[in-house]
Amino acid sequence: MIERRYFCHLYRYALNFMVANPVPLCNEREFKMKRNVMALISVLIVFVLAFSTTLAQDSEQPLVGSWDECPTPENLPETVTIGAVFGLSEAVAVYGTSQKQAVELAVEEINTSGYLGASTLQVIFEDSAGNRDQAIAAMTKLVEEDNVLAVIGPTLSAEAFAADPIAQENGTVVMGVSNTAIGLTDMGDYVFRDSLPEAAVIPGTIAQARETLGLTKVGLLYGNDDDFTVSGYEVFKQTLQDSVIEILGEETFAKGDVDFNAQLTNLIGANPDALVVSALAAEATQIILQARSLGYTGPIIGGNGFNSPAVLKDTGAASEGLIVGGAWNYGNPNPSESSVRFVELYEARYEDQSPDQFAAQAYTGAWLTATAIRCGNFAADADVATQRTALRDALAAIKDFDSPLGVFSFDENRNPIHDPIAQIVSEGKFKPLAVVLGAQATPEATPAS
Amino acid sequence: MEFLRGIGITEIVLQFMLINAILGLSIYLVLYTGMFSLANAGFMAIGAYVGVILSQTYDLPLGIALIGGMVAAGLIALPIGLPVLRLRDIYLAIATIGFGEVIRILILNFDDLASSITGQAVRLTRGALGITGIPKVTETWHLVLFLLVVIYVLMRLHRSRFGRAMAAVRQDEQAAATMGINIVYVKSVVFILSAVLAAGAGVLKAYLTRTISPGDYGFDQAVSILTFAVLGGTSTWVGPIIGGFVLSALPEMLREFKQYRGIVNGSILLLVIVYLPGGLVNPAAWRRLWQRGSGGEVEPVAQGSAK
Amino acid sequence: MALSAIPIFYVFDMNITQQIVNAIWLGGVYSLFALGYALVFSVLGVLNLAHSAVFMWGAFIGLVAVTQLNISVWLAIPLAMLGAGIISVLLDIVAFAPLRRRNAPRMSQLISSIGASILLVNFAQLVFGTQPRRFALGSIPTEPFAGWPVRVTPIQIIILLVSVILMALLQYLVMRRRVGQAMRAVAFNQQVASLLGVNVGGIFRLTFFLAGALAGAAGVLYGLAYNTMTPFMGDAVALKGLTVIVLGGLGNIQGAVVGGFVVAALEVFSIAAGSSNYREAIVFTLLFFILLFRPQGLVGQATQTRA
Repeated sequence: MIERRYFCHLYRYALNFMVANPVPLCNEREFKMKRNVMALISVLIVFVLAFSTTLAQDSEQPLVGSWDECPTPENLPETVTIGAVFGLSEAVAVYGTSQKQAVELAVEEINTSGYLGASTLQVIFEDSAGNRDQAIAAMTKLVEEDNVLAVIGPTLSAEAFAADPIAQENGTVVMGVSNTAIGLTDMGDYVFRDSLPEAAVIPGTIAQARETLGLTKVGLLYGNDDDFTVSGYEVFKQTLQDSVIEILGEETFAKGDVDFNAQLTNLIGANPDALVVSALAAEATQIILQARSLGYTGPIIGGNGFNSPAVLKDTGAASEGLIVGGAWNYGNPNPSESSVRFVELYEARYEDQSPDQFAAQAYTGAWLTATAIRCGNFAADADVATQRTALRDALAAIKDFDSPLGVFSFDENRNPIHDPIAQIVSEGKFKPLAVVLGAQATPEATPAS
Repeated sequence: MEFLRGIGITEIVLQFMLINAILGLSIYLVLYTGMFSLANAGFMAIGAYVGVILSQTYDLPLGIALIGGMVAAGLIALPIGLPVLRLRDIYLAIATIGFGEVIRILILNFDDLASSITGQAVRLTRGALGITGIPKVTETWHLVLFLLVVIYVLMRLHRSRFGRAMAAVRQDEQAAATMGINIVYVKSVVFILSAVLAAGAGVLKAYLTRTISPGDYGFDQAVSILTFAVLGGTSTWVGPIIGGFVLSALPEMLREFKQYRGIVNGSILLLVIVYLPGGLVNPAAWRRLWQRGSGGEVEPVAQGSAK
Repeated sequence: MALSAIPIFYVFDMNITQQIVNAIWLGGVYSLFALGYALVFSVLGVLNLAHSAVFMWGAFIGLVAVTQLNISVWLAIPLAMLGAGIISVLLDIVAFAPLRRRNAPRMSQLISSIGASILLVNFAQLVFGTQPRRFALGSIPTEPFAGWPVRVTPIQIIILLVSVILMALLQYLVMRRRVGQAMRAVAFNQQVASLLGVNVGGIFRLTFFLAGALAGAAGVLYGLAYNTMTPFMGDAVALKGLTVIVLGGLGNIQGAVVGGFVVAALEVFSIAAGSSNYREAIVFTLLFFILLFRPQGLVGQATQTRA
């Protein structure tokens, strides 16, 4: 009723400007009373509109994404469904859970920001339990039954080698977000990854460490029954040999081990300039603590596995002198803006948890996939195969994408290109390796714990 | 088929079900002869690695790889079986766990070991990274055929002299020996047959999953193979097949339960073991249940029959 | 300093001395875990594969007591023992007692313990999540003693002491008390024990409670020693515990302690000898041969197989 009267007033009021004879207003008396109210309402509406648009600009436009390169898509399907295969139960869940959380975070952000225009991104999560058979079954379900347009995962390289061919055969993009094994993307042109292989990280770390620390002899420790740690070990060994650094001894441990005293005693006994370790985060903490408690004070050089916020937090003073190379680090002293924002969002969404490298890569993987959907801009009525191909082509074309991992591109083999980090823990904080050691420039610069 | 897909059993799941049924039968053979062995994950590994390496090095077809893997497992089972089968019960189980673990660790370090012996770089098992890029050759009909052949052989075996000897050894070794059954011979042959069967499943599975690594053949795998047979029931050969089917299909059918999947899966396993004596396929128990359900007389001795 | 003045320590390489310390320490940890495992085996003759899940729950109960309820670490140990003991009794009621009543084969009990283990681990995952949990840094004395020729931390000494005390208490209970006598009687022969007026069911419950309590203590101490707890922490020790109790003689409580130190020494010294790749293979090969040449284990007694 009120609305009707309001429009009536508005109509006749406007009419009064145009015609010579004043048209009686709907209800003169009422109009006079309401005029002020109307004015007030108008002002309010304008104000709210203006305010909400500034708000939207302030909080809803994420720092990730190709907002300018690709126009907002208009004819995408109402919901775009992708899949994710992560290890969400059994021991692998340590990594799979943070991957899932990061993807969920990215999807919420993508949907609330209208990145895909009017359409909504939906993710079907499947658990692989770190088990190859289940990864195959999950991938088959997603690709052949649920008809998803792309799949993120699986968590382990071993699962990827078994499950990715299914996606490849069905012409569906599979985006590895934690697979670092050599030769992964050789499986086909639909296999992508955004996780930097060890070969792209370790040589830089070792070169910097050698330059600043003057390494000549090291001890090497690694897990020999896990493809992640073995890949790391192989690259470490190759790099050390190439840079003519003597390996005093090699020791191994098995998945699930928590006591490394015996191996460390051997290595430390040989008096190395540094300990080089290829291990996962859970083991990394123990290795640092036990090496320190055995009296070792020199630097410890680690690969991707040491790149977890938990490592620094849980080892405290023992982490002084820890040198890490990796794709992304929570403690990066000069992170990109999108990395800072990612950490803030993640910590706000999941209380008491800080994102690790697995989360950052999964988050980036989800955004990359969404960007391929936005830029692929396929029609809702196109068949699934066409949509999948459009997505693949758009994904392969992504260049200089601003992500928490840094400025990101795919190379011609669908492997990631972005700057790895090489950092040292000094005074309880991660600092760029070159800066800290370059300034002190003495081999004994690493503080004792 | 549509119905199966609807409840989460796609073709690949069906293929896993068939493979696990074969594995269930492989352990059924030894259990039927009264041996509690957990060696079959190790034999699976031997079969898979020998088969894949043979066919990749010499470019041989699946059939030859299958035979090669099975023969290799049989050859290894012979010297292992002879001393080990003197053990009984849990001691045999643990010795065979030890065997499985040693096999796993040897495969893990094979390249390393071979390189240091021969003095040149060997790259065969590729350590923890495993062998990847194996072509997917195994088809459903291969598996069905293999399973049918195994069932046929088993049915013949049960009716044969040797089959009766197997049952006799299980029921009472001493009595069987007195009756002139060569216990060592019977046990060894069964152990080798079981190893060969497990190796066959290992080869077929390697050509299904396209990749193998030593971690797939550890303690967990040994125990799941045992679980197929025990859950299904070991009184007839149907049991292990059903057990293999159910345990491979269950995790896929339970995907709807999301994070509660493990709990539901564990509960079902527990409930079946606790409330279905003798496993899922146990004619005697079902008959009793049927009689009770149809209002017939409840046999007073029903409780005691398990003893 | 003082020790290195003694000639025998002087001739040893510093490394070897440290490795001896490492072996003793690791041996203490292994023995503690294996103790409850051995207890259940000795009384019931079954392998309880859910023991490692109870161990994990013990660790988490201790952690929750310390971090959420602000109880001191030393009070948390008895609390975790109580909690884990209760879980262990529930485990018996759900997974073992029904099978025992039916006189089901031990294999079924093994499988039902696997089902229970899956349940317990998945439940823990729902409650505690999957990220590693830790006691706050600095709440555990990990700074090595200054001035010693070898590196030993106070927490290592404390854990070793608690382990020794618990082992001694258990030994006293089983060998010197009436209850222990009843337990041994049940272990020897349930029917005879029952005829002699022993409450067999009660003894089973008590055994599970004690085993659970030991697992709980081991869990908290393990948590304190290595300070990283996940629902899957039991996986790593499950198989190791099995090795320990076999080497020591299945079901022998002193044997479990001996076995713990033997396994630890084997592992540490194979690493010290420069073959860390094969340390597990060495342990399992020894296990294999001990079973072959001493089928009853080092000090174990032969058990009768059931038909």
